[in-house]
Amino acid sequence: MTKSVPGEEKRRKGAVLVVGSGIGGMQAALDLANSGLLVHMVEDEPSIGGTMARLDKTFPTGDCSMCMISPRMVEASRHPNIKLHTMTRVLRVDGDEGDFTVTVRHRARYVDPARCTGCGACEPECPTKVPNSFNQGLDRRKAIYALFPQAVPNTRAIDAQHCLYLTKKVCRKCEKVCEAKAIRFDDLDMEEEIHVGAVVLSAGLRTYRPELRQEYGYGRLKNVVTSLQFERLLSASGPCGGVVARPSDGAHPRRLAWVQCVGSRNARNANPWCSSVCCMYAAKQAIIAHEHDRNVQSTIFYMELRAFGKDFDKYIDKAKRDAGVVYRRAMIADVDEDPATGNLLVHAVGEDGRMVREEFDMLILSIGFEPHGDAGELARTLGVDTDAYGFVTTSKLAPVATSRLGVYVAGTSQGPKDIPETVIQGSGAAAQVMGLLGDRRGTEVTKVVLPEERDISGEESRVGVIVCHCGTNIAGTVDVARVAEAASHQPGVVHAETIVYACAPDGQQRIRDLVGEKNLNRVVVASCTPRTHAPLFQDTIREVGLNRFLFELADIREQCSWCHMHDNENATRKATEIVNMTVAKTRRLLPVTSASVGVDRNALVLGGGIAGMTAALSLVEQGYGVHLVEAAESLGGLLTKVRRNLEGDDVAAFLAATIARVLENPRITVHLGATIDKIDGFVGNFVTTLTSGQEVRHGAVLVATGGAEYQPVEYGYGDSPQVITQRQLENQLTAEGPRDDATYVMVQCVGSREEPNNYCSRICCQDALKNAIAIKERAPQAKVVVLYRDMRAYGLKEDYYRRARDLGVLFFLFTPENKPRVEALGDKVRVSFPSAVLGREMRVDADWLVLSTGLRPRPDGEELAKKLKLTCNLDGFLLEAHVKLRPVDFPSEGLFLAGLAHAPKNLEETIGQALAAAGRAGALLSHDSLTVSGVISKHNRTICMSCLACVKKCPFGAPFIDSDGRVSHNEVKCTGCGICAGVCPAKAYQVNYFRDDQLLAMIDSVTVMA
Amino acid sequence: MMGNDAANSEGPKSPEKQQEVPAGWKANIIAFACHYCAFAAADLAGVMRLSYPSNVKVVRLPCTGKLDHVYLLRAFERGIDGVFVAG
Repeated sequence: MTKSVPGEEKRRKGAVLVVGSGIGGMQAALDLANSGLLVHMVEDEPSIGGTMARLDKTFPTGDCSMCMISPRMVEASRHPNIKLHTMTRVLRVDGDEGDFTVTVRHRARYVDPARCTGCGACEPECPTKVPNSFNQGLDRRKAIYALFPQAVPNTRAIDAQHCLYLTKKVCRKCEKVCEAKAIRFDDLDMEEEIHVGAVVLSAGLRTYRPELRQEYGYGRLKNVVTSLQFERLLSASGPCGGVVARPSDGAHPRRLAWVQCVGSRNARNANPWCSSVCCMYAAKQAIIAHEHDRNVQSTIFYMELRAFGKDFDKYIDKAKRDAGVVYRRAMIADVDEDPATGNLLVHAVGEDGRMVREEFDMLILSIGFEPHGDAGELARTLGVDTDAYGFVTTSKLAPVATSRLGVYVAGTSQGPKDIPETVIQGSGAAAQVMGLLGDRRGTEVTKVVLPEERDISGEESRVGVIVCHCGTNIAGTVDVARVAEAASHQPGVVHAETIVYACAPDGQQRIRDLVGEKNLNRVVVASCTPRTHAPLFQDTIREVGLNRFLFELADIREQCSWCHMHDNENATRKATEIVNMTVAKTRRLLPVTSASVGVDRNALVLGGGIAGMTAALSLVEQGYGVHLVEAAESLGGLLTKVRRNLEGDDVAAFLAATIARVLENPRITVHLGATIDKIDGFVGNFVTTLTSGQEVRHGAVLVATGGAEYQPVEYGYGDSPQVITQRQLENQLTAEGPRDDATYVMVQCVGSREEPNNYCSRICCQDALKNAIAIKERAPQAKVVVLYRDMRAYGLKEDYYRRARDLGVLFFLFTPENKPRVEALGDKVRVSFPSAVLGREMRVDADWLVLSTGLRPRPDGEELAKKLKLTCNLDGFLLEAHVKLRPVDFPSEGLFLAGLAHAPKNLEETIGQALAAAGRAGALLSHDSLTVSGVISKHNRTICMSCLACVKKCPFGAPFIDSDGRVSHNEVKCTGCGICAGVCPAKAYQVNYFRDDQLLAMIDSVTVMA
Repeated sequence: MMGNDAANSEGPKSPEKQQEVPAGWKANIIAFACHYCAFAAADLAGVMRLSYPSNVKVVRLPCTGKLDHVYLLRAFERGIDGVFVAG
């Protein structure tokens, strides 16, 4: 809560420590930095990125992991409000919420980050080879190394344990070859004190060490690998370039098998919890392996298929249907190797209880998650409680708050979870920090003062070309002097020269000097990729008064010298062509001004359930006003029907307290019995008319409209009073308690996981376990039978599954083809089902048949989606901007999503997502004005024919039909993709920095007849 | 479609005479690449030191949606041998 005790404000710091730089830490850091807080991000490894950087692709979309995380890493490293501290550990955290003093230790890197250009010339010279931990020991790296090719920061580090000079005082080869003079053998560890107001802990995970389970042969049999090793084998930037080669002989394996739950769901020599992600990543790996090679045959040995997330079951179906993956519910007893072939013989106990033996080329162990190796020490340092397993303890009702005030947690530090859940917690933790430090925004960040921009209108183009040697990276292959000489004769070029390292501080100063000396008004640097380095040089020329968009980079390293080594003549010719075509574009570049719009600091929250209320309270804490709109006549939503959660929290009391907090908060305006009639405007400036006729102005929209409970028609529900739902059972247990002489039979997946509702409702297994445990704890003689397809007790919920079994709850498997049959028998219900394990038909006369019914999207969801121009998935749940990295955003800016409207989820997950959405919305609302990106499409209304081609094609809804019936273009919504320009028959659109004349000039340049 | 299949089975029947490819001739190829994916992939190829013929030049687009048929026509009109669009 934003505190306003006098004198207190000054003590609280507008800075935050983020421990861990994986996807969760980065999300928290970026949200906080974007809201004007200073972020210190601490990482033990030499590069940020965490576990996600090690993955090849991600489920269930098959997106390339590195392509998603790499821009985030670059963004984090370039953000003016984020200070990266790699190779750094937290030693001490003193002080209290709002005012912590953190002592950190920076380990010696032995490479000066201010001088290292990331050229990598040192690596080939280093004689010491070390197992490559990033590639899971599958290959070797040098003692001077970058953690991975796309490492951020792109500064090498020297491994002090293996470096010959640091261990034996011989060598120094890297130092000799480094032209940037960046090697510092006298570098020392250093301690630093950092003052922050809050801490976000997102230290991530360690994977289980499968050597502990000798029956699988890991470490003994060469072709048994871990799933993370297989991830690296699949990766195009992995040790075998993405063409999977098995370790024993480098042969390309065709028969692959995965063993699930290695190190998970087993308290002996392993971990008792479920790691939550292995079922899905195994399916993903099998699909990707099949995409690489259509002849791959995959078998997955599993206990239970836990595909509990949004669209996960459909992904498993795809694995079976498209990739031919065979799922075998079996326990692996032993693995042998055929010594002649290196193939593996897997001995397993099948569903019918018989032993089977199968041969595979390669075996992949789906290893689970553990708390990070340093988790225990880190928790003690930070003073936060952990559970018996070492995960940071949080309440299910406050999922990112730790036991210490001002310290928050995100990601796998708190329990096993996947990428979007980690991202959600990152934004959720950021929301809580912004609630705490909201009024300290902007107090610790430094504002850069820049000179006025020079007006170049009317000037002839005066292009300066700087060709970078990049040490020997470019100059070793490309004759840079010849390239510069050729460029100097291009039209518009007034100066061309070469620089050894353009990006080094002295190189940048040279560029700044040249702009003045030669009176340049446009600059081309020919060096590396614009994706990482263009912003640096844009800043450089802006510092001497040139508009940032009067610059272009010619990529002659990644796209030339590095690809055409030992072909110097052709590489030089290509570099010349690249530079000349870039010059042709650059001389036509125009200054781009970025417009800005004001922001209304109120949010509209749709839905007064627990998601909407949690988000509303968080937004108010962060300092914004909220209009909370609820269609019903009272607040609370679906949660009004729940009494307790699986973990035993008093949900009813929590809900009542939350409703009271919302109603008494003067900054939340509650609109009951209303929905939206019409919404106009754009990010920062929406105007919404409610069905009550009231008009509301707001800067952001948060959609938390919830879902609906499925009303069953199966198993005689409605015919017999003995057939009830889990919700009714919970009420009955609360009112009357369980009966020792009664038999309760529960049926799972009622109305879920079957067409036309082929998705998992996620909460029903937890509901069944909750009620089953409640019965057995209070009436131990009662009989409880659960008929299930897969008990989806994911993550730490596995504890409750085990507890239920220990209490004597009986679990029987059924398949959708062979469902339990039900007949009314007086005041009992006779339930019959086949048991594969016992090999016979079972019959139970139940006093209560309890149906585990799932969740549905709201019946009016599609209508709402239409009004807000949003899309739904096949099941009718709203579709987020990106399932992995933008799980609470919509593609349209300023709109956010939380709760059951997104997908089925439990209370803890709903609260977490609501906080995340409030954090994302809050970071947006924190701005006085929003700067529109410079690279946008410009619409020329005078030549536009209003044919609507752009209106139909724009994915962001930027072009619209204006009040005069003609097309106008909303630049605030425009992302600059240029689809409008591509489809416009009148050429009424031009994209800044990618104008037609600029691109055609490039084409003309490269098609000059020799 | 039927006609195409039939033509394919008999081999191509172009009215133009097949030109002799001069020795040492290299195709001049232009690639239009999306900044976010294909351009990044071209960078990664370099980072991994993967080799490919040097006669490919990349034009970066904000998105392949920005590709205009005019660019293709202009390129071919000016004698480009091949255009590669990736995004």
